[in-house]
Amino acid sequence: MVVLMRVAGTLGTLAIGLVMFGSAAPGGQAERRAIKISAERFAFSPSRIELTTGEEVDVRLRSDDTSHGFRIVGADGVTVNIAIPKRGKGEISVPLRIDKPGTYRFECSRMCGAGHDFMRGEIVVKDRTADAVDKERR
Amino acid sequence: MKQILLLVFGFVLLASPAQAQSTAEPPPSQTGPFSGYMDFHFNKPEGLPGELDFHRFVLLFHHSFSPRVRFVGELEVEHAFVEGLEDAGELELEQAYVDFLLSRSFNVRAGMMLVPIGIINERHEPPVYNGVERPFVDTVIVPSTWFEGGAGIHGEIGRGLRYRVFVMAPLNALEFNADEGIREGRQKGSRANVRNFATTGRAEYVGIPGLTVGASFWTGDSSFEAPRLDATVHIGEADARYQRDRLELRAQFAQVAIRDAGRLNDAIQGLTGISPNVARALRGFYAEAGYRVWNQGSPRDLVAFVRYENFDTQYRMPSGFQRLPQFDRDAIVAGATYYPDPDIALKFDYVRLRSQSQIVRNTNTVNVGLGWWF
Repeated sequence: MVVLMRVAGTLGTLAIGLVMFGSAAPGGQAERRAIKISAERFAFSPSRIELTTGEEVDVRLRSDDTSHGFRIVGADGVTVNIAIPKRGKGEISVPLRIDKPGTYRFECSRMCGAGHDFMRGEIVVKDRTADAVDKERR
Repeated sequence: MKQILLLVFGFVLLASPAQAQSTAEPPPSQTGPFSGYMDFHFNKPEGLPGELDFHRFVLLFHHSFSPRVRFVGELEVEHAFVEGLEDAGELELEQAYVDFLLSRSFNVRAGMMLVPIGIINERHEPPVYNGVERPFVDTVIVPSTWFEGGAGIHGEIGRGLRYRVFVMAPLNALEFNADEGIREGRQKGSRANVRNFATTGRAEYVGIPGLTVGASFWTGDSSFEAPRLDATVHIGEADARYQRDRLELRAQFAQVAIRDAGRLNDAIQGLTGISPNVARALRGFYAEAGYRVWNQGSPRDLVAFVRYENFDTQYRMPSGFQRLPQFDRDAIVAGATYYPDPDIALKFDYVRLRSQSQIVRNTNTVNVGLGWWF
C-alpha cells in the first residue's frame, strides 16, 4: 500500500492529469462543451484548444480524407489514442477532462502520408481559478 | 486512497478507447505494418498508341524509438521495372529521416527528406489531388517528387502558422536542360556533392478551417562541377488551397532563377558538344476548381474539376540565347475523380496541351488512373 501510495504520489492525482470519461453524459447532467476538430492531411483544425482544469468537454473529431488517429501525449506517454474514421464515415467523440494545468500535445497516431509527423496540436489547460480571476479583471 | 482509486480508474478507462462516443460506422479496413500508395495509369495521346503503366508503387515505414524520436521511410518503384535508366523505371528512397520532436514550435529532422516546396511535393498521395498525372508545374518548374539528404528544423508557431527550414544537397546545374528545366539536376541523395549546401524553407498558414496558404523558397549554388561559375538557383513559390462545402479551389505560382545561365550553357556545350539552352528564369502557375457533384461520402463521392496551367521553361533567356516558343506551354486539364472509398481514387481526365510554337505539334491526351492509399 505504501508503494502504491508512493506511485500515486509521484504521478499525482492523475497527475499526468488526463481523464477520459467512460460514458456520455446521461440525462440529467449538464451538457458538456463540444470542441470540433477536423483532420486532414497533414493538419488538425484547430490545432490548439483551450480548457480549464476540471472542465468536461467532448472533443468531436472528423476527417476530411483518410482515417487519422488522435493521441494525447501526457508526461508519461500515451494516454488517449483513438482512430478517426475516414471522410463521410461519421465522427468520433472523446469525452475529456484534464485536472492539471499545463500544455499537452496531441497528434495523429495513424500513418496518413508523407507529412504525417507534421500533424500535431496542443491542448492548453488553464487553472480554473486563475482563469476566472482573469475574466473578472477583463 | 482516493488518489489511488482515481489513478486506477483513469488507467482502466484510458486502456479502453471504445469508451469514446462515436457516431461513426465501425472501421471496416485494417492497416498492416506498412502504409503506402499505388498509382496505375492508362495514357492515350491523340494519334499514338495507348500505354498502361504501373506508375508508382510506394511503401512507407514508420517506427517510434520513443514518443519523441521517430523514423519515417518511403521507398518507391516507378514504372514497375528497374533496369538502370530512368525511362525504364526507378527505385528511389524518397524519404528516410529521423524526427526529433522536441516541442510544438521546434523540432529537428535529418536524413533523406522531401523538399518543402509547393502543394504536391509533400502531399502527393493519389487521393489528395485531381488528375491522373500531377500538374505540369509540379513536374517541370517544381521538380516533384523532389527529395534530398539534409537536416533542418520544423514546427508550428502561433495559431496555425507552421514552418520548416532545411539545409540540403544542392542541384547539379550541369544536368539542367531546356525542356524540363532543373528537374534532371536533382542529386536524389545519392553520393550528393555538397561542396555547397542549399537552403530551403516553407511557411504555411492553416489557421482558418478549409484554408491553407503557403510560401516556399530554395536557394543554393549549383555549380559544384564547374566551380568557376556561379550557377546559384533561387526558387520562389506561393500556393493556396481552399475548401468549403462542395467547392475545392487551389492555385500555385512558382518561379526559378538561374544565375550565370549564359556561361552555364557554354560550359555544358564544352562538355557535351550541345548547348542545352538553359534559361535564366523559368515560371509556372496553375489554378484549379473542383466541385463535389456527389457529396454523401463514399460510395457516392465524385469530384468534377478543371485546371488551367501555364508554364515556360524558357521564360527569360540569358543574353545571346534564343528563346524557343515550344517551351512556352499551357494546358487545360478537365476530368473527374470518383471515390469508391475515401482512400481509393478512380480518375479520368482530358488534357489539352498547347505551346506557342507554330512547328511543334500540340497534343491532346486521355488519361485514366486508379490510385489508392492504405
